[in-house]
Amino acid sequence: MTPEPRAEPSKENAVTTDTDDPAGPPPAVRLAAVRKSYGDVRAVDEVSFTVRRGEFFGLLGPNGAGKTTLIEIMEGLREADSGTVEVLGRAPWPRDTSLLPKLGVQTQSSAFFVRLTAYEHLKTMAALYGTERAAADRTLALVGLGEQADVRVENLSGGQRQRLAIASALVHAPELIFLDEPTAALDPQARRALWELLRDLKRAGRTIVYTTHHLDEAEALCDRVAIVNRGRITALDTPGKLVARGGTSVWLLVPAERLSEADARALPGVTEVTRESDAVVLRTEDAGPVLAALEKAAGLQGVRTRTASLEDVYLQLTGQD
Amino acid sequence: MSAYSALAEAGYRAYTRDKTTLFFTFAFPLLFLVVFGLIFHGQDVEESGRPYIAYIAPGVLSWGVGNAAVFGVGFVLMQWRRDDILRVIRMTPTPLASVLGSRYVLAVGIGLVQAVLFVAVALLPVMGLELAAGWPLAIPVLVLGITAFLALGAIVGSYARTPEAVAAVANFLMVPMAFLSGSFYPLDAMPSWMQAMSWVLPLRHLNDGVSAALTDAGGGADIAVACGGLVAFAVVFGAVAFRVFRWSDRT
Repeated sequence: MTPEPRAEPSKENAVTTDTDDPAGPPPAVRLAAVRKSYGDVRAVDEVSFTVRRGEFFGLLGPNGAGKTTLIEIMEGLREADSGTVEVLGRAPWPRDTSLLPKLGVQTQSSAFFVRLTAYEHLKTMAALYGTERAAADRTLALVGLGEQADVRVENLSGGQRQRLAIASALVHAPELIFLDEPTAALDPQARRALWELLRDLKRAGRTIVYTTHHLDEAEALCDRVAIVNRGRITALDTPGKLVARGGTSVWLLVPAERLSEADARALPGVTEVTRESDAVVLRTEDAGPVLAALEKAAGLQGVRTRTASLEDVYLQLTGQD
Repeated sequence: MSAYSALAEAGYRAYTRDKTTLFFTFAFPLLFLVVFGLIFHGQDVEESGRPYIAYIAPGVLSWGVGNAAVFGVGFVLMQWRRDDILRVIRMTPTPLASVLGSRYVLAVGIGLVQAVLFVAVALLPVMGLELAAGWPLAIPVLVLGITAFLALGAIVGSYARTPEAVAAVANFLMVPMAFLSGSFYPLDAMPSWMQAMSWVLPLRHLNDGVSAALTDAGGGADIAVACGGLVAFAVVFGAVAFRVFRWSDRT
């Protein structure tokens, strides 16, 4: 997968470039052999990867795998014990106030100024970033909270609070956006609306680094996905290539009333037959011949196919099967 | 709008929308003033021959202002850390000075409004306070006092992780201090060892300074000593506050 070309390398970046590619701007994030321990626990262990400009980069992993620590190191909220951390060509630690306006960070959904309305909170955030006040209105509408502008932050629902937290990360139009499980508390509509918003941001050339537990979402949105387990990156690739690692098996789901399990086993190329609610499930490594045989035996109407998903690969790699 | 004024505005709105805090900042100390003022109405303190109200008005005013400063910053700091607001601010380019400055101006503003209100009530005929010519000197004393108690509140807010802890620790400090510093009861009427001990309490200095300015209880020298004491407390508390400050409850 190639990164989208970036239209507007900013002036500072052009000056401070000292990476492998002297022509272009430095990558959005570059980690090399980064470690971080809490006591005896290695939260982040020899992690190295590069996030290109304009890339949509997903971090997946079980709870406690080190995703949040890793994101906090990139954000500059934590100092790595060792290794190199570069964000937009600069070190995020110690606090660098010239780098911060280029970063958008979604923190917890409780991080609002008390007793303010959604609009007032966002206006305050805009001022903290030195952005104009109109940005607050714009961003509120962008995350679909236009109607809740005058609602106190304490009275927002879980999903609305989450969207306000995301708005806080976007209000100053940052180049690089860090989102920590942005869709966790959202209902399906709001989740799809956020997908669209994230895709728009990517189209506008922004880089997005985010963590999620929704593997379907990572598959739908991310250019590349890193799977983190016990502080290490166990896989890093495009969702398609990761899924391909899960094996070449294809499952055919045939309505149970049309095919008995015994008949299914008799079909050539079928390696395994199981029963799943109202369907007989045929597993095969080569779907073509099986489909042809199936068409003669039972017809193809109502037959569904299923391939390995990112979830299968994820469970395999994180040992949580 | 600058980060500083935005934070001050956010703080002001949060403050004025919280009826409980408003009550404890303005009405509660006023209640003490009125109760003590009415109980001792027209009476003088034997040891000095000066009227009670000349002790109680500056005393309750000092305690009310100090209390509001400690509780105000203590709660806000605990809450900002617990809710991750401090980390949010840390991720913006806003300098720490703007954050501190906005809270400082807010606290000084609240303290001065408190002072005007308390003095106005104490001047009512039923209270019978008579203002000395040097009263404007109470303003610098109050500002220094607010600074010292703000730093004390910042220490409390850095240690405490819950609202209950802030209230418990702040009350533990401020209630005994109020009695031992002569806020509710004239120091002149207390045993001499208690008077001597009270010098280690910041509220004693605030009481002395405000009292000297408002009621002619002493001269400019007393005000200068009070200011010196408050500066010393502000420096010590401020240094400790910076040392114990934490951005987050999470390690």
